[in-house]
Amino acid sequence: MLPAFCDGIDRRGFLRLGSAAGLSLAQILRLQATRAGEKPKAKDVNCIFIFTLGGMPHHDLWDYKADAPAEIRGDFRPIKTAVPGIGLTDLLPHTAKVADRLAILRGLTHGDSDHGRGYHIMMTGNTPGPGDFNSTKNNNVHPSLGSMVARMTNQGGSLPPYISVPCFLRSGGPAFLGPSYAPFVIEADPAAPEFAVRDVVLPEGVGGDRAVRRQDAVREINRLERAVEDTDKDVRALDAFSAKAYRLMTSAKAKEAFDLKHETAAVRETYGMTSVGQCCLLARRLVEAGCRFVSIEHGHWDTHRENSKSLRDLLVPGLDRGFSALVADLNQRGLLDSTLVVLTTEFGRTPRINTMAGRDHWPQAFSIVMAGGGVKPGIVLGATDKIGGSVTDRPITPPEMAATILHALGIDPGASLHTPLGRPVELASGGKPVLDLFS
Amino acid sequence: MRLVSPSDSLPTPRWKLFATLHTCCRHVRFAIVAIVLSGATAPSARALPPPTAGEPLPAIQSLGIEPVSILLHGSNRQQQILVTAKPNSGPPIDVTHRCEITSSDPAVAAVSGTVVRGAGDGTAEIRVRLGARWAAVPVRVRDAGHVPPVHFANDVMPLFSKLGCNSAGCHGKASGQNGFRLSVFGFDPDADYAALVKEARGRRVFPSAPEQSLLLVKPTGRLAHGGGRRIDPDSADYLILREWVRQGTPVGEAGAPRAVSLRVSPAERVLGLNAEQQILATAVFSDGTERDVTAAAGYTSNAGHVAGVDPRGRVRTGKSPGEAAITVHYMGHVAAVRFQVPRPDAPHPYPALPANNPIDDLVWARLKAIGILPSELAGDAVFLRRVYLDVLGTLPTPSEVRSFLADTDPGKRAKWIDKILDRPEYADYWAQRWADVLLVNRDKLGDRGSYEMHRWLRAQFARNRPYDQWVRELITASGPAAQVGPVNFFRASASPEEMTRAVSQAFLGIRLECAQCHHHPFEKWTQDDFYGLAGFFNGMQRKKLRGDDEMVFHAGNRPMRMPLTDRLVAVRPPDGLALAATEEGDPRGHLAVWMTKPENPWFAQLVVNRLWKHYLGRGLVEPEDDLRTTNPATNEPLLDHLARTLVKNGYDLKALTRLILQSRVYQLSSVPNATNKDDEQYGSHYRVKRLPAEVLLDAVCAVTEAPEPFPGRPRGTRAIELWDNRAPSYFLDTFGRSERLSPCACGRSSEPTMAQCLHLMNAPEIERKLADPGGRVARLVGQNRTEEQIVEELCLAALGRPPGEKERRAARKLFAGGPPREAAQDFLWALLNSHDFLFTR
Repeated sequence: MLPAFCDGIDRRGFLRLGSAAGLSLAQILRLQATRAGEKPKAKDVNCIFIFTLGGMPHHDLWDYKADAPAEIRGDFRPIKTAVPGIGLTDLLPHTAKVADRLAILRGLTHGDSDHGRGYHIMMTGNTPGPGDFNSTKNNNVHPSLGSMVARMTNQGGSLPPYISVPCFLRSGGPAFLGPSYAPFVIEADPAAPEFAVRDVVLPEGVGGDRAVRRQDAVREINRLERAVEDTDKDVRALDAFSAKAYRLMTSAKAKEAFDLKHETAAVRETYGMTSVGQCCLLARRLVEAGCRFVSIEHGHWDTHRENSKSLRDLLVPGLDRGFSALVADLNQRGLLDSTLVVLTTEFGRTPRINTMAGRDHWPQAFSIVMAGGGVKPGIVLGATDKIGGSVTDRPITPPEMAATILHALGIDPGASLHTPLGRPVELASGGKPVLDLFS
Repeated sequence: MRLVSPSDSLPTPRWKLFATLHTCCRHVRFAIVAIVLSGATAPSARALPPPTAGEPLPAIQSLGIEPVSILLHGSNRQQQILVTAKPNSGPPIDVTHRCEITSSDPAVAAVSGTVVRGAGDGTAEIRVRLGARWAAVPVRVRDAGHVPPVHFANDVMPLFSKLGCNSAGCHGKASGQNGFRLSVFGFDPDADYAALVKEARGRRVFPSAPEQSLLLVKPTGRLAHGGGRRIDPDSADYLILREWVRQGTPVGEAGAPRAVSLRVSPAERVLGLNAEQQILATAVFSDGTERDVTAAAGYTSNAGHVAGVDPRGRVRTGKSPGEAAITVHYMGHVAAVRFQVPRPDAPHPYPALPANNPIDDLVWARLKAIGILPSELAGDAVFLRRVYLDVLGTLPTPSEVRSFLADTDPGKRAKWIDKILDRPEYADYWAQRWADVLLVNRDKLGDRGSYEMHRWLRAQFARNRPYDQWVRELITASGPAAQVGPVNFFRASASPEEMTRAVSQAFLGIRLECAQCHHHPFEKWTQDDFYGLAGFFNGMQRKKLRGDDEMVFHAGNRPMRMPLTDRLVAVRPPDGLALAATEEGDPRGHLAVWMTKPENPWFAQLVVNRLWKHYLGRGLVEPEDDLRTTNPATNEPLLDHLARTLVKNGYDLKALTRLILQSRVYQLSSVPNATNKDDEQYGSHYRVKRLPAEVLLDAVCAVTEAPEPFPGRPRGTRAIELWDNRAPSYFLDTFGRSERLSPCACGRSSEPTMAQCLHLMNAPEIERKLADPGGRVARLVGQNRTEEQIVEELCLAALGRPPGEKERRAARKLFAGGPPREAAQDFLWALLNSHDFLFTR
């Protein structure tokens, strides 16, 4: 019989809504999407996704306008980088040294200047319908990139496939994919001395012997009538996850991934003892241990006032150290080819500095940065006009950005997922990967 | 149908018998090849077994042919025939593909396989033979040499739907596919016509050389096509497309007859394993003519492993017994054929089963038809815990368990069901469940709005107000959000479109959402239905009041416009009569009356299906809020009975719940037997369910006797009492409380995650509860209870039953290994992580 859909899902299968198979609709659609997602097979490229929340000013960092008047150019000076011809500002001395590993994308563009909506657009590649996205904690109408990756890749590792730190990223949710593809959230600051990841270590007062006795007891009690267990998928599914959870607790390697104390003081210092720095270090440990997607939020970039001061004193130094250390460290460990680092934001900021010495929201043109994961190093793609106000070369839309990231991770951006209503939705919302970025 | 008696049999020449045999073999080979080929692209087709046309037939009494006479008007018309054998005993058998079909005059009517095509004007007879039995139908052919003008919307568009060209995964998606875009499911014929004829510099169609049109070159695979080869150049589909191009791509006459209904035959059949059935699909047109559309229609099965179907409407059962519905769709019309495939080793004779009420009789009837036996009745302890958790979201206490087990009244289950239904937790739990469906989301409604809405909902359940009454109040609500709880339902939706989706899905179970942008792919719903319903809410307005309060009101009847055409759409409920155009004022009263009148087929069915799903773990229709012809219930008579009962009892949800709880079906054990272990949909055993997030958190607190602190709520507040779905709680977030973002019940998930397992094992919060100085373990150990007493009390609290051998053994090891307090904590930890605690059995 003819497959009725291009992705090889036959219509009959699609229609088996809540069928006799007894699977839930979501499960069926998920199975089908799995099938759809099998080609091409996901490469083992992982992603570290750093989101600067509030809107990262491209003028002051990645798209310096040396020839523009001071009220546009801003307060910073250009510096040389590891790549002749690629200029950054003196806010980024450490990053400048790894510029030969970076692809700077200066042509990002979308039309939404609202934080909540911009956040959604840049974490999913999908522009949501009308609505307020600022007041909701989990605002996804389309799955976040992390949830898509969790969904489309093998979840067999001993770590959760999608982790976010140091908090839940508001647009980092699974939308209709359901809580199974939500991130495992590390809600703690890895730079804090008492940093620990909740629930992966035994609770205080319960020693190793006691934990073993407990596990023995639960195993004993769970030995139930075979007949039921054989037929009940829910029980089996829970058991599978319990086993994974137990592996995580007991596997030294997995558990150690969460523990920054295994890093030398020197390494921790290189990343910087800031929240974002230590998040970057933790992210590296997590992908090393098998996590597929780590999202990091670095907050408070909404510099409507005192832009330069905020950047210089608060925001950039930590990011500069952490981000550059991450790229250099991955490179040195030979992990950069298998790790895509993305530094992104909801939008850029206005060309003209306002009367409060701030910059306002500017989604028409802004920059994001990628490194590793097969992306060509040491390049700039796209350009903006003299004032950094609009894209003049190689515009990149959010769907294209999403498609590019998925492509780098070996996931077909055109694969379809099905909403609970049965509607097929493309992972990358119709975007095609920016192939110029790959060699 | 003309039946022919055995005495009419024609003499059978030897060569003809040979021909019959030969034809059969060819069919078999063809079918096998088709399956192997399709297996490569459609994995589920592999489940189809090879047809067994060679299996011996029982003794045949007579043969019947459908249709009873054939009229072929025009050269591109054909007629599928359907041959049914009536055996001496047992159900009718489809022999369409097993008999010999010949024409009395091939120059008039030519037979190709099981299809008759006109060859020349005149009359002839089609004869059908199977062994010694035969039957015949007359054929009349007119205008055989004349190709009727092809009509774009009537003849060409249906092919795009049938072949999947305009599906949302292909050319139907918003961005099109490879530059060629069709409207999804063909909602916009004008745009599709333009896309084919005017775009791509006319390369898609070449009237001067029709075969060179991309429209024909690509889907036949002569040029690389991302969607693969979809049309056979010998097929009727190809001929229609070619003829349309050759005729100069006509739009077709404006007044051309349109399909008005679709008829399928047979309507229902009992089939054996590895059996087959041809479906005959006939469209009735607006001018009263009928046409065979078997080859043009699309087919889908809702249970492919039970019965699969090929694109020509040939159904095959496999090796799984069960039921399947084959949906036939043509030009926006749908019809379904239902199949029952009984187990071959069905218990015979089927035992007489005891019944507590009509639910049991209806379920037993279905089980008998499929040949499976229900499980045993669940034990008392399992029953009690189940009812408490399902009805109240609450665990029974040890003393309640003891007192129920000690009750010797033979009618104690019914008595306790009544007692449980009267408890206040019923209102808490059900207000919360409905708040999920009605999107009581603090992010959207604010504190006051969600509080008032929840409070109102709770009040409806506390006094068991008839369902139709409170829904009418909700649908017509107006007033300030801080005082009139139900108006907040309208604040959860930002537009008339969103309100339409919410109302249709929450109270009607029809997914009109699809029809907002295109014709519903599997139902009759059109954009007129969507915007007609949306018209009721087009006047909804909100005005800011003091604080975060808002006045919600309706500003008067105002029909919606269709986005594509800007046409005004009459305000009307789906499938109902339009309001008078002159009507002014708030029209929602009409909608509320239409929704809740007893004749409304969806209103009662949806709510009883929700209840059935809640109690039995699977809806009679799944997804529970997707009622449509093409998604039939697993037990239609039962759904119908429950809905009627609800209407008859004045929409008393508690009475209906009582009926379900009192049935033996609900009280069956979850332990399956040999015949029903694969059954997940007919209610032959109870389905094990995970405790939902709020219920689980309450259960952990109840068992440990350490309440969960919720900021801003009095100590001892239970999770099922929370009106605020955003009340900070790692536990509830992790275990998947409803997001309340979409009106489907899918916002809540029962699927496990690693974070959940880790939390139950290691969370300091749970450890603190186990070790709470005021908690259960501390109390029992402090009272110097013996190990045995402690173990019994903990099992009664967590599992709702006394300890079994396994629990005793586990406890003995723990108590031998450490001090009693620690051992008791460890034992309770193990209970909290055990299946018997985490699931309702």
